Amino acid sequence: MLEIKNLHASVDGKEILRGINLTVNPGEVHAIMGPNGAGKSTLSNVLAGRDGYEVTQGEVIYKGENLLELEPEERAQRGVFLAFQYPVEIPGVSNVYLLKAALNAVRKYQGQDEVDAIDFLTLVRDKMKLVKMDEQFLHRNVNEGFSGGEKKRNEILQMAVLEPALAILDETDSGLDIDALRIVSEGVNALRAADRSIVMITHYQRLLDHIVPDFVHVLSQGQIVKSGDKELAKELEKSGYSWIHDAPEGQTA
Amino acid sequence: MKQLNEITTPFSEVAATATLPGAGLNWLTQLRQQAKAQFDRQGLPAKKVEDWKYTSLWALSQQTFSHTASETSLDTAQVNQVAALENAYRLVIIDGQFNAALSQLDGLEDGLTIASIAESFAQVESVIGQQVEIDKPGLTALNTMLMQDGVYVHVAAGQKIAKPIEVLVISTAENADLASHLRHVIQIDAGAQATVVEHYVSLAETKGFSNVVSEVQLAENATLNHFKLQHESMGQFHIATLAAKQAAGSVWNTNNISLGSKLARNDIHTQLLGEGAHVTMDGLYLVEADQHVDNHTRIDHAVANTTSDEVYKGVLDGNSHAVFNGKVIVHKDAQKTDSSQSNKNLLLSRSCEVDSKPELEIYADDVKCAHGSTVGQIDEQHLFFLRARGLDEVAARSLLTYAFAVDVLQRIKDEPIRQALSNVIEKRLPKGA
Repeated sequence: MLEIKNLHASVDGKEILRGINLTVNPGEVHAIMGPNGAGKSTLSNVLAGRDGYEVTQGEVIYKGENLLELEPEERAQRGVFLAFQYPVEIPGVSNVYLLKAALNAVRKYQGQDEVDAIDFLTLVRDKMKLVKMDEQFLHRNVNEGFSGGEKKRNEILQMAVLEPALAILDETDSGLDIDALRIVSEGVNALRAADRSIVMITHYQRLLDHIVPDFVHVLSQGQIVKSGDKELAKELEKSGYSWIHDAPEGQTA
Repeated sequence: MKQLNEITTPFSEVAATATLPGAGLNWLTQLRQQAKAQFDRQGLPAKKVEDWKYTSLWALSQQTFSHTASETSLDTAQVNQVAALENAYRLVIIDGQFNAALSQLDGLEDGLTIASIAESFAQVESVIGQQVEIDKPGLTALNTMLMQDGVYVHVAAGQKIAKPIEVLVISTAENADLASHLRHVIQIDAGAQATVVEHYVSLAETKGFSNVVSEVQLAENATLNHFKLQHESMGQFHIATLAAKQAAGSVWNTNNISLGSKLARNDIHTQLLGEGAHVTMDGLYLVEADQHVDNHTRIDHAVANTTSDEVYKGVLDGNSHAVFNGKVIVHKDAQKTDSSQSNKNLLLSRSCEVDSKPELEIYADDVKCAHGSTVGQIDEQHLFFLRARGLDEVAARSLLTYAFAVDVLQRIKDEPIRQALSNVIEKRLPKGA
């Protein structure tokens, strides 16, 4: 599904990612954890294709293609989905319009016809149940006036409608209270599938109580310094990230 | 160097020789004479006048306009095609003349009058000229001197008119260089309510001059939803004044949409004269190529406890130029005024220009006034978000441009009108996705 090999990336000339290696197979859920400044958001932005990040070395292969050569929309059309840490508000664009435009963009790439209006509404209503969203949210402008929790649920709704092959969840738990966290997690769990991989990027272990990963990786100073299973996250919860900082630079697990 | 009062079209001579309606009314004759004397003194406003600093009428002054129009050959189907609203009363003005045959004025609701002003001057003596001042720099004097037609809308006390009224003003190829001086009078009596859409459209590449003054009088607790949709040809000049006086508890909801012409200038002014009066003064301008649009708005909070809410947005492309000047004046006794104003501009090209100037003058001490003005480009975060959802860059930019513009229309509560106006905007700015 996804293979990251020796990925180095810089922002404004400053190297943030310093040799990431990661393989994600179909159906796997990977959690990438790390302290602030470890490069977590840089990694998700590089994978989604945001401007301002310069890849200086290494490669990312997604379904056999060089992901880094694709425009952000081409990545999305091929099934890569980024759930944003800070979803933007877009006045003037209704949620339902966005969902339909996004779904049609993906369908068009796959050589399918545009979705029929009635089929689409049936589909969206069904998906909204996953994240317990009321239908009124469809007709509101994208994220405008939404609470933090509603914005994150809206991201998961978009994921549910687009049915990506690879979902990158960037700090999806940030800013959520316990109820919202539960709803979002249930939504994500419902979307786990044998042909869908999920990469969760998070600072805190609490998300992993709800969405249990197959693998946990610790990111520090632009490298994955330790990998393990879900027990690794619990260890981190107990001892924090401080032990990582004590590790010699460049050491990988 | 020639001055703007050395104008090619001899407007004053036209006034002296033309047969204008209402000639039998002494008060009207006097009013026209006063206006003529004023126009002869001041001519067209020059750029040295502060209010006309960014808008030059030089090109207009150098053009020759005709003042007589031939009969139209338009039929109902053609008129239906350009109308903004399907289910509405419709008063049609073609090349400056009211056209009864093409209007839809049957079955008016109780208490509603819709008529040609040329046939109604006798009824509007107490209203006409009351909302505007002919000595103010601008074209009000010229309009008053030559006003030939327009609409008269009157709603009797307490009547809430359900169906909207579309005033459809059409310029045709048959009279491509026509100057028309239209005067609209809208009078809403106490507790009454109506919706009026002024709609200006060209059916060809006309090079005429639309000179419009709309006067609005709102009695106590009256409500007028007042929309203006202007999309005339790229050769047309459009200069308009919309002026209202509002009594206590009255509400004037305006939305002024300029898709432009060669030059469009709107002076929109209200005086909130009674407690509880409210104005929503919204607008949207979309200009491209060499278009020029200038909106000057003014809200006078004259007494205590009045409110105003103003949002103007603009999208500029090509070499276009937009001007926004928004005055809010809170007079000495106007305590507890609540006023908010914003002007936001989206620039799509490097060679367009916008001059935005909010002006607050506050002479009371217990008031809430907010204003803001922005000029910018498409938000990169928004663009990335849409691309990350699969929309290509061109589609995402189009959608964001449409969204920026249509946002101001979402403030319109009336669903059919909001939809009709949004459709017009979408034709100009395709959503692209």
